[in-house]
Amino acid sequence: MNSHGTLRCGATALLAMCFQLIVLADDPPGNAGRDIGRELDEMARIASVMVDGDLCERIMTARALDFLFRVDPRDPWAASDNFDVNHEPYIRTKKTLIRLSRLVPYPCDVNLWMPVKGKPGKIQVLIRNVNEWSQFWTWGMLTQDTPAEMDRVLKTGKRETVRVKPGMISVLAPVTNSLGDTVGLVEVVAYQPDYAAPQVHARVR
Amino acid sequence: MRTTFITLCLVCLVCQAAFSAKLRILPEFLRPGPFGQPVAADLEGRNQVQRNSSEKYSISTARGAYLSFHLVVSMAVPGEYKVSVEITDRSGKLELDAFKEWFHFTDSNKSYYPDALVPVSLPHSSRLPDPDNRIEKQTAQAYWIDVWVPADAIPGVYKGQARLTAEGKTTRTPIELRVLDATVPAEDVVIIDHNSYGSGWLSGMYGGIPVPSEESFRLTHGYHRLLYEHRGVFHQLGYGHGGKVISEFAPELAGSGRSKRITSWDKYDRHYGPLLDGSAFKGTRRGPRPIPFVYLPINPEWPASFLWWGERGYEAEFVKVMAEMEQHFREKGWTETRFELFFNHKKRYKAFPWDGDETRFAEDDAYFREYRRLLKKALPADTPVNFVFRNDTSWSMERQFESLAGVIDFWVCGSSIFSWYPHATARLKGRGDIVWLYGGAPGVTQVSTAITENPLRIWLYGVDGWVHWLTTNPGEDPWFHFKGGTEVLAYPGERFGIRAPIPSVRLKLQRNCLQDLALADSLKTRVRLDTLKAEITRRYNNTRPADWWTPRPALADKPPFEWSNATIDGANKAAGKATTYDSSAWDRVRAYVLEVASETK
Repeated sequence: MNSHGTLRCGATALLAMCFQLIVLADDPPGNAGRDIGRELDEMARIASVMVDGDLCERIMTARALDFLFRVDPRDPWAASDNFDVNHEPYIRTKKTLIRLSRLVPYPCDVNLWMPVKGKPGKIQVLIRNVNEWSQFWTWGMLTQDTPAEMDRVLKTGKRETVRVKPGMISVLAPVTNSLGDTVGLVEVVAYQPDYAAPQVHARVR
Repeated sequence: MRTTFITLCLVCLVCQAAFSAKLRILPEFLRPGPFGQPVAADLEGRNQVQRNSSEKYSISTARGAYLSFHLVVSMAVPGEYKVSVEITDRSGKLELDAFKEWFHFTDSNKSYYPDALVPVSLPHSSRLPDPDNRIEKQTAQAYWIDVWVPADAIPGVYKGQARLTAEGKTTRTPIELRVLDATVPAEDVVIIDHNSYGSGWLSGMYGGIPVPSEESFRLTHGYHRLLYEHRGVFHQLGYGHGGKVISEFAPELAGSGRSKRITSWDKYDRHYGPLLDGSAFKGTRRGPRPIPFVYLPINPEWPASFLWWGERGYEAEFVKVMAEMEQHFREKGWTETRFELFFNHKKRYKAFPWDGDETRFAEDDAYFREYRRLLKKALPADTPVNFVFRNDTSWSMERQFESLAGVIDFWVCGSSIFSWYPHATARLKGRGDIVWLYGGAPGVTQVSTAITENPLRIWLYGVDGWVHWLTTNPGEDPWFHFKGGTEVLAYPGERFGIRAPIPSVRLKLQRNCLQDLALADSLKTRVRLDTLKAEITRRYNNTRPADWWTPRPALADKPPFEWSNATIDGANKAAGKATTYDSSAWDRVRAYVLEVASETK
């Protein structure tokens, strides 16, 4: 289902070279005393290099985009029922995000956020990962108003650290395309070692 | 003269008030309210609702079954009372359970409904208004009475009485139980599943207990026991939409690629062991037996990482871990439970690119085929362990019934859309697939009989089961600001000092309905099944079995991605006839079933 093995090997090597704090995922945790904020910031810097903005722009299907803000009083779920993605760019991008999350030995997610084309001020989380952590996502929301922190990252291209939820640290970093435009951002997110993360959200069919 | 007359009247009224305590017995589908009148939704279409304290209450049952009624204490003036029920049974076979009915206040229509059932011992002393329920000017308290009539009970008439002592006076209501020769089969003809998600809610409902822990496992087993005793099944999904497994729902893993392996079964076995070998059900009236179904923790991110999707590593990790799981289950002898490969994720939740649940787009079917291939590769051809591949389907079910034939063997279908496809039952059952339907539980504001509609529908359709999609969520304040109960059938007992789930009126009504359906179905050896179904639907709500299907809408011939919820709702309006009934509907069905059971002994 995926013919990008070569690309993956290349990406792995590049990641290893870039990241100065590489620790194998199987290493014993021993996270006490780590400067997690600094490590996540470094990961976010690498993510800006590794995540392909052109690919990200191809994830949403045009049809799903068309439904995203359609308001039908008789069908409040029209947007979510018609949400769809192009599998190949989605999978390739998600794999990159998973690889990035493995740069640290503790649980970490790397989420992809993309502004909604044609809807200034609106943004959506487009790819989440296993722990389902985010500083910003309201569970179940397809799109939301762009938080000020994200807006600044999109406008300035500078990384930003966010510590709003107790124990949770997020670093936002820009994602650019081949034209040099900032087209999205990643949220690298983990919990401080002394915080117990809540149980994963399993509800809702 | 006039003054004297008024004075006498007042004296009489005072005397009447002073001896105002009454005891009434109401049939199970006529739910009492806290002010002496039954719930309004249950009164429509009823003829007889009032009974005098002295009037004998007669009720019949087959053996191997519960019979139930509401015992209602009414007092016009506040005061203490003591209530009891006695049945004369020289054989000592019959058992009696009593529960105090909690009156929930619903903000939506500012009314009270009895639902949560708090176990009490008889004789039971309390007072009105009930200090705990805190209902201003409450004049009536209800008790749910269950009489368990085991399969080896002696047929015949049992006499007894309910007794109320209040205001220095004792009143008695005679009870007559007629136990028939007929016996309700132990096996259900309709499986009713009670679904839930994760286990974190146990901590929130039970004093912040750690999860997982021995206490959380004991509570989890308590939910299984409660629902099993009510002829139900309990499911807990053990992973999130992003694929993270909750620790007690999966074995621990280590390694990657070829080296991926299971390193510990400790939490899984403590959680599931007693459920899969049946020991969790020791001491129940139905006897110990393994749970019939259980979710596997498998999802696109477990046991194989989605990082390897489409590569050799994904297959290596999936096959290795699945093979180890099969071996563990086989060695443990867990061969009576169906282990379900089931995907709950949706692309709208942004973690995976395809819909595992309620698939809408045809291209997503390819993922199901791939997982069937992987499952086949992982399992020995002659494994005695029962693995099934479950698909919860709605929009696309008609297409998937064909496109995934031989891939999916356990279908859980949206009820309303399934009703468009009467041909599907024979098609799916004919190839040996399991078929359940799903939906929500009826709320307390609906007529009591609503809880019987879907069990009956399942039996009429000839499919296997029904899933209440969520049954453990009472909401933030179920006791004083109730949201209606469409997501709860078993309440946390913590508020009443009971660290275990407690049942509901609706759960008990559902159990009694399932008993009757099991008995009805067992009669098909003597009465044609078509005849039974026709008579039961006629008595239920004057319909025919065919009325329970919805005429195929034109919509069904369009691709599902062109449908909307509005057009589906429009199509389903044609199904309205079957969903209209009164609170006596099931009483009429039961009378018929017992009548036929008596005749065909």
